[in-house]
Amino acid sequence: MWGLSDVHVSGTLEVETALENLNEIKLMHISEGVLPVSILVGGAVIAVTGTAIGLRRLDYNRIPQAGVLAASFFVASLIHVPLGVSSVHLILNGLVGMMLGWGAFPVIMIALILQAVFFQFGGFTTLGVNTVVMALPAVLVSFAFHPLKRKNASVVTVISFLCGFFSVLFAALMMGFAFFLIGEAFFEVGTFVVISHLPVMIIEGIITVFCIRFLMKVQPSMLYVKKGVINARS
Amino acid sequence: MGNGPLIMDLKDICYAYHGVDDVLSHVNFSLHADERMGLIGGNGSGKSTFLHIIIGILRAHSGEMTIFGERVRTEQDFFRVRQRVGLLFQNSDDQLFSPTVLEDVAFGPLNLGKEPEEACEIARQTLTDLHLSGFEDRVTHTLSGGEKKLVALATILAMQPEILLLDEPTSGLDESTKNRLTEILGSLAISYIIVSHEYEFLISNTDTIYGMKNGILKYHGDSSSLHSHYHSHPAGEVSHQHSDT
Amino acid sequence: MIESSFVDGNSLIHRLDPRFRVAMAIGISVFIALADRFPTLLISLLLSLVLVALARLGTMRVFRRLVVVNGMVLVFWLILPLTVAGDAILNLGPILLTKAGVLLAARLTLKSNGIILALIALMATCPVTAIGYAMKSLWIPEKIVYLFLITYRYIFVLEQEYQRLMMAAKIRCFRPGNNLHTYRTFAYLIGMLFVRASLRGERVYQAMCCRGFNGRFYLLYEFRASWVDWIFLTALSLVILLLGFMEWGMVL
Repeated sequence: MWGLSDVHVSGTLEVETALENLNEIKLMHISEGVLPVSILVGGAVIAVTGTAIGLRRLDYNRIPQAGVLAASFFVASLIHVPLGVSSVHLILNGLVGMMLGWGAFPVIMIALILQAVFFQFGGFTTLGVNTVVMALPAVLVSFAFHPLKRKNASVVTVISFLCGFFSVLFAALMMGFAFFLIGEAFFEVGTFVVISHLPVMIIEGIITVFCIRFLMKVQPSMLYVKKGVINARS
Repeated sequence: MGNGPLIMDLKDICYAYHGVDDVLSHVNFSLHADERMGLIGGNGSGKSTFLHIIIGILRAHSGEMTIFGERVRTEQDFFRVRQRVGLLFQNSDDQLFSPTVLEDVAFGPLNLGKEPEEACEIARQTLTDLHLSGFEDRVTHTLSGGEKKLVALATILAMQPEILLLDEPTSGLDESTKNRLTEILGSLAISYIIVSHEYEFLISNTDTIYGMKNGILKYHGDSSSLHSHYHSHPAGEVSHQHSDT
Repeated sequence: MIESSFVDGNSLIHRLDPRFRVAMAIGISVFIALADRFPTLLISLLLSLVLVALARLGTMRVFRRLVVVNGMVLVFWLILPLTVAGDAILNLGPILLTKAGVLLAARLTLKSNGIILALIALMATCPVTAIGYAMKSLWIPEKIVYLFLITYRYIFVLEQEYQRLMMAAKIRCFRPGNNLHTYRTFAYLIGMLFVRASLRGERVYQAMCCRGFNGRFYLLYEFRASWVDWIFLTALSLVILLLGFMEWGMVL
């Protein structure tokens, strides 16, 4: 479990200890060398399409904004929150979608490339599939969130929870589905993936609620996504 | 000054970043109850590091620390220290992270195990004491620099610390906020250590002044005798005491 | 802290042109992902090990990294031998381990680790900025490359920012536990991180405009491939070609 004693001013220990701790194994990636070519190619095609849409809606002058946000997601997804006697990583793909819409595709893809480079979680061949697994649910929940975000506080609370919850549930289901497609042998692995993410879904739901409430109060312009274009704060 | 019992005793504290450059070298220091101490020094002299060591967010590489009569070594020890010692960050933006002022001030009391209603009550009371009532529902992020500093101070005071550590509290503040800070500090009945490079502020808010240069801590004198001396050396950031004062 | 701990070094691999390293890493990954036969996979794993050895990264460090990224492989070992239909190799009353299941788990372990080791040797030794520029010369769209470089540039700044906020919580006696207060605090810290990041993005953009930014980035980085790069690339391609023949040649 992540102890607070590990946080130092120089900020050096959190990720290192995370990596050295076997409890902290990250399961939201499908490892390299597992999936057959058909699924890898299929994932890559969808990922490229999604990323192209995301990039087209991202003007050159919005790239600094998107880059800094991508960096903050990368950092935030390394945070462990306590769960029972252990702790879990946050995934936060739902929040990415709620803030960036289609921009979630390029941003998540970049974060995954960086994870591959830094930690070798995932690699090139699975980049497409893993991007789709996380980014597609992100875009989907953003469609659900934006029409409702101006309703009253309790509606926003409920919808935020559901967005956080379902973004992880969909991701786990898609991952499970990818395993299911490999063949019958992997059915249990897929089921395991979905079930093991259940607690994460609840925590992500709760965190999403508080985070959205925070943003609504402090910087509501961050949640205004027009046609997936990331808006300037104005 | 500071005739009360010894509440903090640091012996031979050394600290170095990455184990090389000495930031603190063989620092010996003690603080008594009701003592109000100033620490002056230039940028990078190790002043902030000194405070961070006391509160355990940095760990000394060698030396002994005794706070409130107990040896402090482990994270558990420091957790107890933090219940009684508050640190005001140099940059208030790093200190405030809740959406509203009330939530931020109530955060500390909640961590100390207070019930939500009680924590809110303490937070409101602290804000009133600092003449900040009316700020409860303001968004912390949009406060002005001076307001942020005062709210940050409120978040620490709400935990009713027995020792207060202030890291460059005046940086970026205008005169009127500085005066308010002086007023608040004057009304507190606890010991504190102020780290600053502003001599005048230290003189008017502390009893004793230490200087720090290249990680070495030196006693400079008590504020009342240093005061008259200060103005004749306008360039002197580093105080010094004449033998006959 | 997030650190690319394998970047420092002066081995043959470290001196290779980043473009070549990225291309080779992609090549090996794709090949191992496609291969299925045990002899090929074993030799591929050996090839990756040779690359890691050439990069001289320290056995312990590489091993520790491998352990961490083998989480899913562990799940395969726990599940597949029990669930894949086939002849039993071990029968422990209600628990039946099948040969097919064990073989499948073993094959996936070989494939996964072969690719990961190649990535450690070829990619983790590459400065991240160089990878960005290498992506550019490998026909990845410019926008992605810029986004990648800016993201990388700010990861460290934001990590520090997060650590400072966490420290602020810590000095006010915050201790994470299984409760709403903990989750709310983390949500606020994350929210604050986003808000600050967004404002920082604004400032970065304004600063760029002040220095004449007009929507175009210019990447000032030139790669120069030496004969060593070419020899290395050729040798590796030949090995993979041979392996490919081993894998599929007999079938054809």
